[in-house]
Amino acid sequence: MLKKPNLFKRIFMICCGPGKHQLLRVSLFCIFLSLLAGSVLLLLLGKNPFEAYRSILQGAGILPKTRYAGKKSQLTDFMSLLNYTTPMIFAALSVAVALKSGIFNICVSGIMVFSGFIATILVGYSSLAPIIAKPLVVLIGVVAGGLIGVLIGYLRHRFNMNEVVVAIMLNYIISYVVSFFIQTRFVDPITRQSVEVGQNARLTLFDYPIMNLKMEINLVFPLALITVFLIRYFITRTRFGFELQAVGLNSKASNYAGINVGKTVITTMLISGSLAGLAGVSYYLGSNASIQPRVLPALGFDSIAVALLGNTSAIGSFFASLLVMIFDSGTTYMSSRMQVLREIAALITSILLLFSAIGIFFRALANRYAREVEEV
Amino acid sequence: MDSIIIEGIAFSIPLFIIAIGGIYSEGSGVINLALEGLLGFGAFAGGLSYALLSSVITGNPLLLIYASLAFAMVGGALLASLHALMCIKFKANQVISGVVINMLSVALTAFLANQINASVFGQPSNKFLLEIFPKVTVPLLSKIPILGALFTDLYTFVPIIVVIALIMAYILYKTPFGMHIRACGDNPHAVAAAGGNVMKIRFISVLVSGALAGLGGMCFAYSISTTFSPNIYMGFGYLAIAAYIFGSWKISRTFLACILFGFARSAGYVLVQKLELPSSYGDLVLTLPYIVTLVLLLFFSSKTKAPRALGDVYE
Repeated sequence: MLKKPNLFKRIFMICCGPGKHQLLRVSLFCIFLSLLAGSVLLLLLGKNPFEAYRSILQGAGILPKTRYAGKKSQLTDFMSLLNYTTPMIFAALSVAVALKSGIFNICVSGIMVFSGFIATILVGYSSLAPIIAKPLVVLIGVVAGGLIGVLIGYLRHRFNMNEVVVAIMLNYIISYVVSFFIQTRFVDPITRQSVEVGQNARLTLFDYPIMNLKMEINLVFPLALITVFLIRYFITRTRFGFELQAVGLNSKASNYAGINVGKTVITTMLISGSLAGLAGVSYYLGSNASIQPRVLPALGFDSIAVALLGNTSAIGSFFASLLVMIFDSGTTYMSSRMQVLREIAALITSILLLFSAIGIFFRALANRYAREVEEV
Repeated sequence: MDSIIIEGIAFSIPLFIIAIGGIYSEGSGVINLALEGLLGFGAFAGGLSYALLSSVITGNPLLLIYASLAFAMVGGALLASLHALMCIKFKANQVISGVVINMLSVALTAFLANQINASVFGQPSNKFLLEIFPKVTVPLLSKIPILGALFTDLYTFVPIIVVIALIMAYILYKTPFGMHIRACGDNPHAVAAAGGNVMKIRFISVLVSGALAGLGGMCFAYSISTTFSPNIYMGFGYLAIAAYIFGSWKISRTFLACILFGFARSAGYVLVQKLELPSSYGDLVLTLPYIVTLVLLLFFSSKTKAPRALGDVYE
């Protein structure tokens, strides 16, 4: 039967069909759809969507604002964006690495709280010199996170426990135990959070004067960038990275081919946990300075979907983190300028993640259309 | 002692109905990490209906309260239909879909609660105030020593939920439709070969799980804070997941797990009060259900029987 595909199908195939950069095109298509959905939402509220998106970009320091307060400029906004993006990059990498070998690390939030708490009590309240304290915080983050990661990997491999279930349990155990210690020993009676960590241990410099501006400088952002490339190299260019992906695709076949699956799973979780630990210290001793008891950071859960939006690749995770955090940090400015509720940004972000979760369906659908056309 | 039982029941029973929701969804083969979001959205829908209807239905607070329970079930089912659509129609990864639904639920309820409060009721707030849920003390039964506490100061949602739970258990284990659901979780291809519609059965199961989670969430909103507020997202959905895994996807065992969790919680709180410890010790009590589940899984994870086709995409 001869049938020419209609216009909609053809456009859809150009967007998501097989060919060069299919994964990237599908992601961009998902972003476009969610921006469209956000526009409809804004129109329903009687606001101009273009204006809203522009002020989000302005608030995040991507576009210049019309006016700035003293000692602030587009650059300070942008540095602030990088500051808040840093933990998200680590967290998304953590999820992405684990997903590559077929493991869902939904314990990122718990690991963040754990590593943040350990670093806070060991170094945050000490009077070590900054030059020692800051690297020590990073190191503790890596070690504490890695420990939990190895625990999950070991339980999964040795006892055949579902890592998602283990992660849920660990998340809450960590959250409540840490909350207990904070409320009994380290609570600030006014804020009801843990006592703020000292400036010597903090990984972000606030109000740092440069060129007559007050900057936020996240000292571990360069580390995050380096990690992105390291992970990329590690997964795509090394033998272990190959084994990791093989286990993710088919663990039984990998075992048959002589790959030590247990070792691979545990090492993967060691890396994933360490990355989550880094996210924890750069969150709790960086962009924030104290821990709110009984609260698991939403960032840890968002990172799952962010990694997915970035197609679980290292570079993709980086750009997806940046995109999501642009929305997050540009909202305050948008909501004050446009008289829209702050919550709308979180809503648009979760719509974006919703679409990225069905990206795989778009891809399959476009491939099917393409086959149909070929058959004709 | 009495307060342990009263508080324990008030917590266990809503948890139980949420866990039954999880069993329905996972029993049919669809992983449901979205319970947390579903119960929150259900509570939101119930709270909203209460706030909107309270100006229409005056003079009959009881009707209002029970109507809000029904709306909570509708709300939960509504969001669950999205999860079902993502998992069944769009073949998204079920774990990821669940996580995303949770995030969407938090964002959506926060946004809508603020927006509706501002534009309809003209006040900046993210809460809906509710009435205190009616309680009954059964005349004769409450006089029985110790067990009488089961019938003292009983929230009336407890008998409602128990009846619904019995019906759900009957449907799942004693009717052909229930068998289809369980078969979909174990071997969907066999169901298809026998002429069943796997996608439809799974879709209905997920909807049921949303409705039950919404009901449980609304009961939590009434019993814990008598408001709908973003504080509803306290991890009870995840606790329900722990409960049915603990009960290895069987309704009867899950009931015991929920009772255990609820009583461990209330007993812990009472203990903290009796020993005059600071309230922060309550946090340690809250870890108990999770630790018990983890340790139990450590020993029995090779024996727990999850539905065999759980998480498999059916094509």
